[in-house]
Amino acid sequence: MDFSLVMAQCLSGLFRGMMLFLIASGLSLIFGVMNILNFAHASLWLVGAYFAYTFWYLLQDYGFGLWLSIALASLTLAAIGWLIEVVLIRRVYDRELPEQLLLTYAMVLIIGDLIKLIWGVEDRIIARPPLVAGPVFFLGTPFDSYFIFVILIGLSVAIGLWLFLKKTRYGHIVRAAVFSREMVSALGIPIPRIYTGVFVLGIFIAGLAGAVQAPVGSITLGMDMAVIIQAFCVVVIGGFGSLLGTFVGSIIVGEVYAFSILFWPQGALVLIFIVTALILIVRPWGLFGTPMRA
Amino acid sequence: MKRYWWLALIFVGALILPMVIEVFWVHIAIEILILGLFAVSFNMIFGYMGQLSFGHAAYYGVGAYATGLLMVKTSVPLPLCLPVSMIAAGICALIFGYFCIRLTGIYFAILTMAFGQLMYYIIFQWYSFTGGDDGLQGIVPPDFLFGATAYYYFTLFIVTAALIIMWYISESPFGYTMRAIRDNTDRTRFIGINVRKYMLINFVIAGMFAGLAGGLLGPFNRSVAPDLCNWHQSGIPVFMTVIGGPLGFFGPMIGSVIYTFLFAFVTGFTEYWPLVIGVVITFVVLFVPGGVLGLAEVRMKILRSKRVKTEANESLDMESG
Repeated sequence: MDFSLVMAQCLSGLFRGMMLFLIASGLSLIFGVMNILNFAHASLWLVGAYFAYTFWYLLQDYGFGLWLSIALASLTLAAIGWLIEVVLIRRVYDRELPEQLLLTYAMVLIIGDLIKLIWGVEDRIIARPPLVAGPVFFLGTPFDSYFIFVILIGLSVAIGLWLFLKKTRYGHIVRAAVFSREMVSALGIPIPRIYTGVFVLGIFIAGLAGAVQAPVGSITLGMDMAVIIQAFCVVVIGGFGSLLGTFVGSIIVGEVYAFSILFWPQGALVLIFIVTALILIVRPWGLFGTPMRA
Repeated sequence: MKRYWWLALIFVGALILPMVIEVFWVHIAIEILILGLFAVSFNMIFGYMGQLSFGHAAYYGVGAYATGLLMVKTSVPLPLCLPVSMIAAGICALIFGYFCIRLTGIYFAILTMAFGQLMYYIIFQWYSFTGGDDGLQGIVPPDFLFGATAYYYFTLFIVTAALIIMWYISESPFGYTMRAIRDNTDRTRFIGINVRKYMLINFVIAGMFAGLAGGLLGPFNRSVAPDLCNWHQSGIPVFMTVIGGPLGFFGPMIGSVIYTFLFAFVTGFTEYWPLVIGVVITFVVLFVPGGVLGLAEVRMKILRSKRVKTEANESLDMESG
C-alpha cells in the first residue's frame, strides 16, 4: 500500500468522521442536556438533505445556489426542530424511557413516510458548482475538493460549539444543565427554554449536515438508517454529553470505515461495531464520558 | 389455579376459532400468535429485568433465518428446525448480551439496537449465504401443515407451550431474582447474587424465544427477508408491550392483538402503514400513558379504591414503621 493511498483514505476517513460529528454532536448534546435519545436525528438529517435539494433545484440558475440552499435548508430544519420540540418532545420530559424512545421511534416512521410522500422514491442528485467539483492535490494526492469543504465545515462547527459551551453565558448554562437540572432551575433559569434551544441547535446542525451531505452522492430513501447507527456508535465510543468524546469518536469511526473499505468492504460496519464493543469492555461509559448516571 | 380459569377459556376459544372464521382471519390469528410470542419474549427483558432492548428483532431474525436456511438448503423437518432456531438465536443473544448487560437504561437500549443493526447488516451483506436483500424464498411447510388452519394449530400449540415455559420461568425463583434485579440491582448484588450472570441468562432465554417466534414466521410467510432484523421491527414489541402493559405477563399478547388488527385494517387501504402506526404510537404515548391494561387498571382501581384504601394505608404504615 503506497503513501498516496494511505493519504487518500486518511482524508476520506476524516471527511466521513466530520459528517458523523455533525450528526452525533447534536444527538449527544440533546441527550446530555435533555436526557432524551433522539432516534429521529438521522431522519431529520435526511430531511435536511432533501430540503437542500429542493432549494438548490429552485435556485440552480444562480452561482451561489448551492451555498444559499445549504443555509436555507439548515434554517428550515431549525424551524422544524422547534416545532417538534414544542408540540411533541416537551410533553414527554417527565415520562419513562420507553415512552420517550417510542415517541422518537414513531417520529422516524412518520418522517420516513412523509419524505416518501413529499419527495417520492427516486434518488435525487445535486450538481456541484465548479468551485468544489474538481479534485485538489494534497501532497501530490488527488482529493475531492468538496470533501475538504465538508471537513472545514465540521471543524468550524466543532470549534464553534466548543467556544459556545466554554465561553458564552448560554453555553455555561447548557453545561450546567448537563450536570444538574435542578440546580440550574433553582437559579431561576427557565429549563424548558434551555431545552428548546438545545433541541433546535441540535436539529439545526443535523440539517446543516444533511444539506452538506446532499451534493456528495445521490440522496436516497433510507440512507438515514446506516447513519443513525454509526452516530450511536460514535456517541457510545466518545461518551454521551462529551463534545470532545463525540469529536474523537467520529474520527475513529470515520477512519475505521475508510480503511476497512480497502481490505474488507462488506465488513466495514461490522468492524465499527467490533471497535465499539472493544472500547465498551474497557470503558463502559465511553472514552471521554463520565461513569453512568442511572 | 382457580384464578386462571379464563386462560383455559381463551385457549379453548383459540381452539374453536378457525372453525368459525374465514381463512384471512386465520392468517391474522397466526400472526398475532407469532408476534405475541416475540413481544412476550421481549418483555422477559423489559418487564422482568427492567431493561429496554431496542434490538430484540435481531434474535427474531436469526431464528427466522435459521429455520429458513435449513428448510431451503436441507431437508430437515420443520419441528427439528425450530429448536435450531432457538439455539442459533440463543448463541447470538449470548454474544451480544455479554456486552449489553454491562450497561443499563438508555445505554442498554442503544447497544442492543446497535447490535441488532449489526445482525441486520451481516444478513444484508452476506449475499452468498443469506440471499442478502432478496431474502429467502420458497420456505414451504411440510404437507401436513400446508393449510392455514393446520399451521394455525401448529403455531397455537408451540406458542402455548412456549408461553407456559416462560410463565414458569417468570414465576420461578429465577424470575423473582430478575424482579429483584429490576427493582434494586445493588441490594440484589449485596445478598450475593451474580447479577450479570442472571441478566445474561435471562437475556439468552428471551433471545431463544424470540428465535422460536422467528422460526415460526418463515414457513408461515413462505419467505424471510433481512428486514425482520431491522430496528423498525425491534420497535414493534416495544410498542405492543407499552400498549398492552409491561407488568402483566399477557400484556404484550394484548398489544399484539391490537397491533396486528390495526395492521390488517390499515394496510387494507394504504401503503403508508409506518405513517399511520407512527401517528398511533405518538397518540398512545402522549395521551394513553400506561397502555390499555394500564387504563383498565386505573378504572379498576377507582372502583376498588374505596374498599382497599384502609387496608393499603395499614400496610403502608407497617412498611414505613
